[in-house]
Amino acid sequence: MAQIELKDVRKSYGATDVIHGISLEIEQGEFVVFVGPSGCGKSTLLRMIAGLEEISDGDLEIGGKRMNDEEPSDRGVAMVFQSYALYPHMSVADNMSFGLRMTGRPKDEIAEKVSRAASILQLEELLARKPAQLSGGQRQRVAIGRAIVRNPDVFLFDEPLSNLDAELRVQMRVEIAKLHNTLANTMIYVTHDQTEAMTLADRIVVLRAGIVEQVGTPLELYENPDNAFVAGFIGSPRMNFARAKVTGPRAIEVAGVAIALPDLATELATGTEVSFGIRPEHLHAETGVELPITVDVAEQLGSTTYVHGTLATGEVVIAERRGTAPRPRDTVLLHFDPRHARLFDADGMRIR
Amino acid sequence: MATAGKKEKRVLWIISIPMAILALSCVYPVYFALNNALKDNRGYILDRFGLVQNPTFDNFVQAWTRSNLDTYFLNSVVTTVGAVALLLVVSSLAGFALAVLRFPMRRLIFIVILASLMIPVQVVLVPFYQTIIGLGLLNTRTGLIISYTAFFLPFSVYLMTSFYAGLPRELVEAARIDGAKLIQVWWYVMVPMGRPALITLGILNTLYCWNDVLISLLVLQDQRTLMVGIAALRGEYTTNVPLLSAGIVLAAAPIVILYIIFQRQIVSGIAVGAVKG
Ligand SMILES: Nc1ncnc2c1ncn2[C@@H]1O[C@H](COP(=O)(O)OP(=O)(O)O)[C@@H](O)[C@H]1O
Ligand SMILES: [Mg+2]
Repeated sequence: MAQIELKDVRKSYGATDVIHGISLEIEQGEFVVFVGPSGCGKSTLLRMIAGLEEISDGDLEIGGKRMNDEEPSDRGVAMVFQSYALYPHMSVADNMSFGLRMTGRPKDEIAEKVSRAASILQLEELLARKPAQLSGGQRQRVAIGRAIVRNPDVFLFDEPLSNLDAELRVQMRVEIAKLHNTLANTMIYVTHDQTEAMTLADRIVVLRAGIVEQVGTPLELYENPDNAFVAGFIGSPRMNFARAKVTGPRAIEVAGVAIALPDLATELATGTEVSFGIRPEHLHAETGVELPITVDVAEQLGSTTYVHGTLATGEVVIAERRGTAPRPRDTVLLHFDPRHARLFDADGMRIR
Repeated sequence: MATAGKKEKRVLWIISIPMAILALSCVYPVYFALNNALKDNRGYILDRFGLVQNPTFDNFVQAWTRSNLDTYFLNSVVTTVGAVALLLVVSSLAGFALAVLRFPMRRLIFIVILASLMIPVQVVLVPFYQTIIGLGLLNTRTGLIISYTAFFLPFSVYLMTSFYAGLPRELVEAARIDGAKLIQVWWYVMVPMGRPALITLGILNTLYCWNDVLISLLVLQDQRTLMVGIAALRGEYTTNVPLLSAGIVLAAAPIVILYIIFQRQIVSGIAVGAVKG
C-alpha cells in the first residue's frame, strides 16, 4: 500500500486554479522529487501535503488515513524550507530541539536525539552558536537536523539548496542522498533544478502549470519522455529541437537531411510537420546520419566541448564533442544514431 | 563624502543655520527649567534669566513632600507601567493574529483598527467618560490603566501587525509543523522576534502615558497623576516658577533616564514603523 496518496488534489486561490487535479502514489521509503519551472505549483503541492495550505478539492491520504483536515503536526511530516526558517534568537541546539520541547518530551530523550542528529550532520561543534554565526551550508544542516530529531514518517524539502552557492549545492546534494540511505524515510523533495532531480530521485514527478506532465524514474524520463516539455526539461544541456517534414511512413527530413526511422511504431502521415528532438550527447557519434551545422561558439569544458551551431534552416543546435574544438563559422558534420531521435507531434506529444 | 566641494560646503552652512535655531529652541527650555529649579523665589524674581547664584534643592524637597508629588509620582508609575505592560501583551497577541493567522474578516478588523487611529481622543471624551462612570472605574488606577490601553491600543496593534507581517511566514509554519501550539508560537517565536518593535512601543507608550494630562484628569479626579499635579502647581494669579520648574525636572527625570538606557533601541526602533503593512 502506498504511504502517501493524492487523489485528484486541486488548489485554487479564489478564482485562479493553481493545481488542476493531481493523483499520485508514493511508496514507503521512496525519494520522490517534484520538478518543474518556477511557478508551476511545486511548493503549493508540497505545502498541501504538509498541511500549510488548504486542499481545495480531492483527498490526501498518509498511511492510509485521510489527512485533508488534520493539523500539520498530526501528519507525521517534517519540513525543510528554502529559507531554512531557523529562529535567530535560539542556539543551534534549541532550534533543533524546538519541536520536541514544544510537545513536552522528556529532557534526556531530547538531549539524546539532538546529539544523534548533530553527529549525523557533523554539527556537534556548533550546537551553542546562533544561526547568524553559521555559514549557509551549516544553517541548511541545522534545518535538516531540526527535521531529523522528530523522526518523521515523511521528510518534505522545499528547494533546500537554492540559497547555496554552486559548489556547496553539489556537496549538500550528496549529503541529502546519503541521509536518505541512512534514514530510509520517505522523502519528497521540490526543486526547479533538473540536475538535483536526476541525481537524487527514485522517482521524478515533472510538473507544469499545475499538471503532472510525467512520472517516472530519472532514466525513464531521460530515455523515454512522454512529451516535448519533459524531453526539454530533463537533461543538460537541453534536448535540441528542429522542425521536420514527414517524407514517408518512417522517414522525415530535417533541414534538408533525410532521416530514416525504422524503429518507429507509428506510421507517419506524409506531408505533415513534426518536431524532431535529439540530445547534445547523442550528436557526437562517428557514424550514422550526417547533419551539417555552422559553428557559432565552442565551449570547452575540459573533457568535453559543447558546440553551439545552426542548421541550414537557422535553428539552433548544441552538440557535445570530444577532442579538438571547431572554430566559429566552420562547418561541421555531426553524426547521430537515428534510434536516439525523438519525434513529437504539433501538440508536443511524443510519437513513438 | 570625504571632501565636500565648495558649493556643497556652502549648502551645508545654509542648512546648518535653521538646524542650529531648532536645536537652541529645544535646549533653551531645558536650561530654563534646570536653572530656575535651583533658585529660590526671590532669586527668580530678581533675575529671571541669569545663571543661578546660590543653588538650593529646597524646591525639590518642597515639591516632593508638601505638594504631594510623591503620591502623584506613585500613581503615574503604577498606571504607566500597568498600561504599557497591558499594551505590549495585547498588541503583540493582536498583531500575531492579524498578520499571521487566517480567519474570516481579518482585513475588515484591521481596517476598523486603522480607522480608530484617526479618531482624536477629544471627539469621544463624553461617551468615554460615561462609560468609565458606568463601569464604576472612576477614580481608580485600574480605570486609568484600562483607559490608556484603550486609547493607545490602535496604534500599537497597527505597528505590531505591520512588523509581524514583515517577518518570514516560514518561521511560524515551521513551528506549526513541529507541533507548537498557537500560544507557544506566540511566546517562543513571535515575542522574541518582535523585540525591536516591542521596545519601540514600550518607549512610545511610556511617553504617552507618563505625559498625559487629559485622560488622567477625567479618570483619576481625586488622586492625580504627576503631570496633573504639576499643572496644579500653577496658581491662578501667581505661580511659584522655581517650584514648578523643580516639579518639571522631577517629572522629566524618569523619561530622560529611560531614553539614556534605551538610546540605541530608540534610534533603530524609529525605522520599525516603516515596515510594510
Ligand atoms: N497565496 C497565493 N495567492 C494566489 N496565488 C498564489 C498564492 N501562492 C501561490 N500562488 C500562485 O500559485 C502558483 C504556484 O506557486 P508555487 O507553488 O509557489 O510555485 P513553485 O513552487 O512551483 O515555484 C504561482 O503561479 C503563484 O503565483
Ligand atoms: Mg516554490
